[in-house]
Amino acid sequence: MLNNILKKAALAATCVGLLVGFNTAYAGGHGGKVDITKMTPEQLAEHLIFNSGGFKLEQKVQEGGVSRQRLEQDDLQKACSVTGGGAVDANTSVKVMNMARNDIKYPKGGIKLGDWKIGRELAWSGYGYRVGHRTDNHSTTKYGPGGNCYNCHQMATDRTGGNIGPVLTNYGKLRGSSDAILKYTYEVIYNPHAYFPCTNMPRIGAQNVLTEEQISHVMAYLFDPESPVNK
Amino acid sequence: MTKPILYALPILMAAGVAHATNYEDMAPEEILEALIDKTGSNYLNQSPQNRQMMPDNPALWLVDEGEELFYEARGPKNASLEGCDFGKGPGVLEGAYVEMPRYFADVDKVMDLEARLVHCMTTLQGFKKSDAPVKKRHGSGSDFMKLQTFISAQSNGKKWNPPLDHPQEKAMRDAGEVMFYRRAGPMDFSCQTCHGDTGKRIRASVLPNINEPEEWTKAISWPAERAGQLNVRSTQHRLRGCLWQMRHPQIIAGSDASTALISYWTDAARGQPAILPDLKR
Repeated sequence: MLNNILKKAALAATCVGLLVGFNTAYAGGHGGKVDITKMTPEQLAEHLIFNSGGFKLEQKVQEGGVSRQRLEQDDLQKACSVTGGGAVDANTSVKVMNMARNDIKYPKGGIKLGDWKIGRELAWSGYGYRVGHRTDNHSTTKYGPGGNCYNCHQMATDRTGGNIGPVLTNYGKLRGSSDAILKYTYEVIYNPHAYFPCTNMPRIGAQNVLTEEQISHVMAYLFDPESPVNK
Repeated sequence: MTKPILYALPILMAAGVAHATNYEDMAPEEILEALIDKTGSNYLNQSPQNRQMMPDNPALWLVDEGEELFYEARGPKNASLEGCDFGKGPGVLEGAYVEMPRYFADVDKVMDLEARLVHCMTTLQGFKKSDAPVKKRHGSGSDFMKLQTFISAQSNGKKWNPPLDHPQEKAMRDAGEVMFYRRAGPMDFSCQTCHGDTGKRIRASVLPNINEPEEWTKAISWPAERAGQLNVRSTQHRLRGCLWQMRHPQIIAGSDASTALISYWTDAARGQPAILPDLKR
């Protein structure tokens, strides 16, 4: 019992560390208080995100685990976060491109095109991975979580796409379907930072937004001569 | 002899409109029209139908209902909210909202309108956080949205001017900036992904650019009736919705994390007139 209390006290002391300011009103970890004016903006942001009760961090998420991990940045996310906006420097660009290139995994049987009709639905679907209120249930949708492609891209002209990314209309018609262009397209979908460091585009393959099979369907939607993208 | 004066009249009137920086005398829809004339922004201009509805904005009902609630003695302590200080003295509402979030000495922290309202309802009126008037934060039927809509409407046409004199105000604004550009989650999104450029769209929706203050003032002018939701929504509701679409965890309304983000985004609209209440898609 006493041992437990001592452990808790030690834990609390470690958590507040150098940032103690007991007469301030901001919560620290384990019930302590912190002086927010003694922190750098980066330290305070991390504190507010993880230690101040600002987010629901313990909610289960679709990929397994809890929502906290969604806010923990990986190396690429850290490198590509530029406070105040603007482009990253040349060194960071090279670093990020290498990081992305090393990250790409290819389908075992080679890059193949799937069913453009399924790809069309996946490209259109903005469903999947949302948590908090109205949490997405991946098992209740026919093709699982969507690719969210139309959020940012105009693809076929029968549906309205966004313009954060480039227009992809006639994608296959303009480019053909050589092994080289299939490989390039797969890589851009899997991890676009390999070509466009710190792009806004999600890492659809590397972050498991879509499975290998789902990506093959989206690629069919881009390349198949019968796909509305190429009509 | 009178003719030259008559001819000059339309010119004088036109000059008057062009020179009309006195947004404080304008209705919300007039402020929006003036900003559209000035910028030609696709974001501000995207829904003429919504603009036509603004004189009959359903949020105007909430302004009236919120006023009644504000001055009514309520809660276990049977007190009105006239004793609540939103930064310009107890019960002073004119221009208070455009100067929030701000530091409040009585709690020694920075608060946005949501957090301050909860503070006053729990301390002055004696409500518990679990009581419906405090607990129910969303929807046009909630006391909380009525009060927010009334209080904020007293800042219509006033220029956003959140104070940054106190070290805590500066600290929260700067941390909010870091959070705004911080990429995370399965989609690698930050707020900047959608709000760092002009004329960008998610599907058909034109997005506001945080670097264009004339666009950004509309983006942050909440409460607003959301035509697609048939409800008046708050700043905190907008924030929650963005983070949901970003696949980030749910943010807690009124939390210090939310205050930091709102401090940064309010600073980004500094000097531009608030449109309150607004009507959005």
